[in-house]
Amino acid sequence: MKSIVTALAAVLTLTVTATDPVGAQEGADRNRSAAPSARDISGFWELSIDGSNVPAAVLTPGITKAVLDEQAKKDAHAIRWCNILGLQHAMGSPRPIDIRQGARMIVIATEVNAATRYLYLDRRTHINREEFDPTTNGDSIARWEGNVLVVDTVGFDGNKGMTAIPGGGFRTADSHLVERYRLLNNGSILAVTFTWEDPKVFRTPHTYEFRYHRLPQSYEPRPPLACDPFDQERTRFLTTPPQIPR
Amino acid sequence: MRRSRRAFLLFAAALGIVVSLTMWQAPTESVAQRSASTAARPDLEGGWVRIDPEGSGSFGGLTSKFPRAVLTPAAAAIPVGRDPDDVDPDAKPHGPGEPYIVSQGRCGGPGGAGGIEPNSAALFIVQADDEVLLTREGPGGRHIYMDGRAHPDLTRWTPIPLGHSVGRYEEGELVVDTMGLTPGAVTAGGRRTPETRLTERYRLTPDGKKLTITYTWNDPKLYQKPHTYSLEFDRLPEGSYAFEGWCDSSDPLQRQSIVPPAQLQ
Repeated sequence: MKSIVTALAAVLTLTVTATDPVGAQEGADRNRSAAPSARDISGFWELSIDGSNVPAAVLTPGITKAVLDEQAKKDAHAIRWCNILGLQHAMGSPRPIDIRQGARMIVIATEVNAATRYLYLDRRTHINREEFDPTTNGDSIARWEGNVLVVDTVGFDGNKGMTAIPGGGFRTADSHLVERYRLLNNGSILAVTFTWEDPKVFRTPHTYEFRYHRLPQSYEPRPPLACDPFDQERTRFLTTPPQIPR
Repeated sequence: MRRSRRAFLLFAAALGIVVSLTMWQAPTESVAQRSASTAARPDLEGGWVRIDPEGSGSFGGLTSKFPRAVLTPAAAAIPVGRDPDDVDPDAKPHGPGEPYIVSQGRCGGPGGAGGIEPNSAALFIVQADDEVLLTREGPGGRHIYMDGRAHPDLTRWTPIPLGHSVGRYEEGELVVDTMGLTPGAVTAGGRRTPETRLTERYRLTPDGKKLTITYTWNDPKLYQKPHTYSLEFDRLPEGSYAFEGWCDSSDPLQRQSIVPPAQLQ
């Protein structure tokens, strides 16, 4: 008798649960949002003043002051003419970056004048160099190694955008970048280490780390600031030494 | 025997309760199932390129057969200024392949993500739980908030070229509602102000290879009836990747365009 009552109670419980799929789904959704996945870096992320650990790069003997000055001129030209500036500017953005992770790709959109980054999760090899037109962001393929997202990028254009690399040196067509993304502090911090290799520029691999703070879900980005290459006053400001107002 | 008869009656009574409860909940379950199916999330992730289903042969021709907006008299009186960046000094017809100046070559304009309607650059979509992000082959992105938030109070909102967009899944489609746009022109003779409401419906074909975005503009001050048209897209093949749109205002060629060559008949 007791066993019959127990069995009926179990049937009743199962019936009530099975007839409330929405409630069950809501419960599952709540659980998902309560525990951030270590393998989902979606969110708005902001780099704060204490979020950078950048040692000085060890450059090859060929990277003389003259070479660095020439490269700095190219970067200044890119800024002056409102060119898209590239990966380093995107990841070092003074405004928050928006990272959204899908099943086949991760997209990084910024609020600055840098092209959107695409990190391909469904590709294991880079696009053939003969096919790929070098860009300021390069070709990025990504994979998860445990809870670390490893992003491998080649295919940079050494003559477009802002090429300077934090800590010294600059990107060239031969640069190879490996980024490692991981969540810290229960998902409130996104740590990214950047390791640049380029036999013509760096004597040893150059590694630095940025840590981004997760912004509230309610954050809403604003469009990039307008950049007017034909604004004469802006041009004067960028191309002549500052004057002390009198 | 008496004991087993009592057990049988108890079992029958309990079974009756279960059946009643199930029947009582049946309508709820059916609604819930319907709700789940209507909210089904289409797989829009990836790259899409706008196509020319009419074979019009030119970019301007893509919209030439769209139904024209039926404007209110007040809206028709609003002058639509030309994009100040568009310049065609001689304003004469140009032969196929003849290069001519079409713009000031101005890079770095505000807005990002290329405007509401995709042009010839590919459109990329990534769907996260809280946000659908639409991006192009340049800076910026269009953010569709999926967390149920409302539009902001427009009296406290600075209009922007992409407006403020919230979305939901409905009947297997992504439905996006946008307000807060900068004033200006809309495809096929339309107008918009920050108060104008745009509804977009993103609908996939059953095989997932084609996408139709239907745009419906609503604003009783501007339109006598909702202004609707659709754009069509092909999914980029597997292994495709985003290009990077380059713009250099210091390059004289940045200002030129080329008229498409004559189409083979």
